[in-house]
Amino acid sequence: MTIVDARALGRRYGTTWALRDCDLTIPESHLVALVGPNGAGKTTLLNMIVGLTTPTTGRLTVLDGIPAGSPAALDDIAFVAQDMPLYRHLSVADTLHLTRNLNHRFDDAFASARLRDLGITDKQKAGKLSGGQQAQLALTLALARHPRLLVLDEPTARLDPLARHDFMATVMAAMAEDGVSVLLSSHVLAELERVADHLVLIARGLVRLDGPVDDLTARHRVVTGPVGQPFPGGWTAIGSTQAGVQQHLLVRVDSAVDPQPPGWEARTVGVEELAMAYLRDATTLPHLAAVEAVR
Amino acid sequence: MTSPVLAVARPAARRPVPWRRLAWVSWRHYRTASAATGALLAVVAVYLVVQGLQMRNAYAAVQACATPSTPSCRFALLTFHDTYGNPGFAAAVYIWLPALIGAFAGAPLLARELETGTYRFAWTQGVGRMRWLIALLVSGTLGVALACAAFGALLSWYQQPLVDAGIQHRLHPSLFPSTGLAVVGWGLAAYALGVLAGLVVRRVVPALAVTLALWTGLAFVASNVRAHYEAPLATSSLQLPAKDLPIEQWWSYNGSRVSEAQINQTLQAIGVQQGGGTDNFTIGPGGGSIDPVQYLLQHGYTQWTSYQPDGRYWTFQAIEFAWLIVVSLLLLAATLRLVRRRAG
Repeated sequence: MTIVDARALGRRYGTTWALRDCDLTIPESHLVALVGPNGAGKTTLLNMIVGLTTPTTGRLTVLDGIPAGSPAALDDIAFVAQDMPLYRHLSVADTLHLTRNLNHRFDDAFASARLRDLGITDKQKAGKLSGGQQAQLALTLALARHPRLLVLDEPTARLDPLARHDFMATVMAAMAEDGVSVLLSSHVLAELERVADHLVLIARGLVRLDGPVDDLTARHRVVTGPVGQPFPGGWTAIGSTQAGVQQHLLVRVDSAVDPQPPGWEARTVGVEELAMAYLRDATTLPHLAAVEAVR
Repeated sequence: MTSPVLAVARPAARRPVPWRRLAWVSWRHYRTASAATGALLAVVAVYLVVQGLQMRNAYAAVQACATPSTPSCRFALLTFHDTYGNPGFAAAVYIWLPALIGAFAGAPLLARELETGTYRFAWTQGVGRMRWLIALLVSGTLGVALACAAFGALLSWYQQPLVDAGIQHRLHPSLFPSTGLAVVGWGLAAYALGVLAGLVVRRVVPALAVTLALWTGLAFVASNVRAHYEAPLATSSLQLPAKDLPIEQWWSYNGSRVSEAQINQTLQAIGVQQGGGTDNFTIGPGGGSIDPVQYLLQHGYTQWTSYQPDGRYWTFQAIEFAWLIVVSLLLLAATLRLVRRRAG
């Protein structure tokens, strides 16, 4: 199954491109991490995937070719937007009933049991719940729809560490029990290190890195060698730091090339380290809008 | 923490979420607005019913006068006129009530969703944003129409003695848009303006302000256009039937209209000046012994009055209702189109 398929996808607001030239195929995964700095275009991409925003250019399908935003796509995708928008004046019971009435499927037993576990009662107003409880309520509403894809936009950005842990535990449980695929955007890389199996990295409106986490880590190395030492042809440097006469490089390696040529020491790279190098690299590139202006 | 196992049941064929489920969504959405409108209407209704019953008693006493020309009967009519003829502050309420009902139901509909971000919840549910919006628009339209129709009927009942006595005219701009079918049209225009303004402005309070401003502009234009729905009639009779709405008066001589200057020239002979209106005269030094109107008539002048007959009331109501409905539907269609294409 393909979760998301984007071809030449772009979205412009006024004269500024929020996302540009996005070619992306996300195969069936458990958890796709969409990372990038604030303002990178993550929310724009997610909004297009869930049908809130229409693309300016290109084509976007979800879940094996369903056009994004179509009734079938809406039916199978549950979205928890940034800052968990809930109707603050509605009671929890009314919030559940509202969601039930807005969907084909709504698992009352599941929702009630989960809220009971969380200590959230029917009569409480959604707006009066704690931040962590609001996040859990929003997630429960999404999961009770039994979506095939759950899209979460910066779900843990405003949560304290305990609430963040509980939230991710709920997501993991749903992945294990319901088999739902999760597409999650975040600028907190650490929490994705162990759970993401597919990584999409966006910076300044462009996709900079995209692939299964195992492939990405296998294709990158941190290498160490003397400053000025010649560089093997199959390597592309993404980031570098100098420490005295030694330099540390994060390199992308072609599979054909020996991963450790003589004179260099190499080690494997973690997801966070990898993402950081690409993000740092992206900041040195001219901004997309500036590129546009030159063209 | 124990998580219950999720049971996945997927319907074989996809059908839209049924409308009856959206009935609850609509009801929950408008519940507060309905309660507020109901309370407002109740207050207005109590006032109109209490006042209306008192007025009917007073009017019955006027009508009971055996000989209307006696001083006591004339005094009774004058008292009735002075007591009930000038609605004062209430007149502003009558005009604005349909606008308030429509604007408060319409403007927050999308503006609140956009302001608080809940549109990201509502528009990503299985029902889809178009079905969600259509359900809310249909129920909102029906609710506003019902509330405005009830208010219009109540006001018509209240005003009946004043209309019968010729103190108020059903076709007058202060009464016409708040009664009959037009009141429904004006309420729906405010509602449709409010929904679209909310979508464009994206914040509740500014959207309300924009809605009421645009509505007032439209009402001002309409009050000038209304007299031309059908060409006014003109009569040379000095006494217009009490219910007909006078528009303009002028004098003519030998079949052609004459200016005020010429009238004044003629009236110099009896020491009278015409001032702002054909039967409003200022008596100068040495004048006043001769009735100026009779004097002008004797000298070959004819007084003309253009008017709209009261019998045209329902025709005019239908015309005003029709174009207001067309305007409202166009606004709602524009809203639906914008929401479908809307960039989040």
